Amino acid sequence: MMQKLNDIPDKNPFKVPDNYFEEVNRKIISATSGFDEEVKVVSKSGRLRTYFLIAASVTGIILISYTAIKLFAPDKITPQVSEVQYNLNRDSYLNDIDISSLEEKASSIVFSEERPEVSNNDIIEYLLLENIELNDIYEKL
Amino acid sequence: MKLDNIRPDDNISELLKEDLNKGFRLLVEKYSSKLYWHIRRLVIIHEDADDALQNTFMNAWRSIDNFRSDSSLYTWLYSIATNEALTLINKRKRNAAVSINDLESYFANSQEGSTWFDGDEAQIKLQNAVLQLPEKQRIVFNLKYYNEMTYEEMSKVLKTSEGALKASYHYAVKKIEKTIIKD
Repeated sequence: MMQKLNDIPDKNPFKVPDNYFEEVNRKIISATSGFDEEVKVVSKSGRLRTYFLIAASVTGIILISYTAIKLFAPDKITPQVSEVQYNLNRDSYLNDIDISSLEEKASSIVFSEERPEVSNNDIIEYLLLENIELNDIYEKL
Repeated sequence: MKLDNIRPDDNISELLKEDLNKGFRLLVEKYSSKLYWHIRRLVIIHEDADDALQNTFMNAWRSIDNFRSDSSLYTWLYSIATNEALTLINKRKRNAAVSINDLESYFANSQEGSTWFDGDEAQIKLQNAVLQLPEKQRIVFNLKYYNEMTYEEMSKVLKTSEGALKASYHYAVKKIEKTIIKD
């Protein structure tokens, strides 16, 4: 019968999972000193990466904007006239002048040699498209 | 085991000043096992001991700047570990539905049960007898009997006089032997 503490064999009755101490050491180190190292490394390279990305983004925006302006901006700036106003202007223009005035204007036009000859029929067809009365046309021809 | 693990504490203290990360890493590798077993014998359950061990080193890391070089790393770490174990024991007492005063009740109140315990009858009797001691006396007994800590070092860990610790250990052995005989 045991009476003294020293009679009890010195044996550790407690157990731990396999590789426990390697694992817990790794966890502790990564949560303390190891984690700080990782944070520092990431921060340094992370900052550089961030600056690079910002610079690349700004450059890209500038290039895209410049390209868009060059592609889509019109060459001349012309006053916009509504279609209705244009038609009214056109009709009044034709109504205000008579055929004789038109002939005078036509006779003053000097055609270059490259210009193809225009037949009377072509002129008649054109004037008809302009709502000039046929009788008026034949009277003048 | 790495050769760096067996550096004297003085060297590790110096290294902590020069290279904190490397010094702390050596500290962990040197003391994690010893501190674990100290905690484990107090809290019994492996999962609880695992938590308390990690908390011990996290607390040590956070307060490493407050570590005074006139005390030793050894007693400083044991002091933190002991406090972590006591905190856990008191918390368990508040949460337990039944009184925890022997191995059986410890295992009954844990998920792991007796998975990580492999003791013969003698060991079970001894552990049950130790668990009957008041907490602080149990700590004194464990530090002296299992860790073979000197009374001088124990005095720094527990902030108690050497005389009181000697008396506490003496009576702890008597109680344990009386309990074992009775059983």
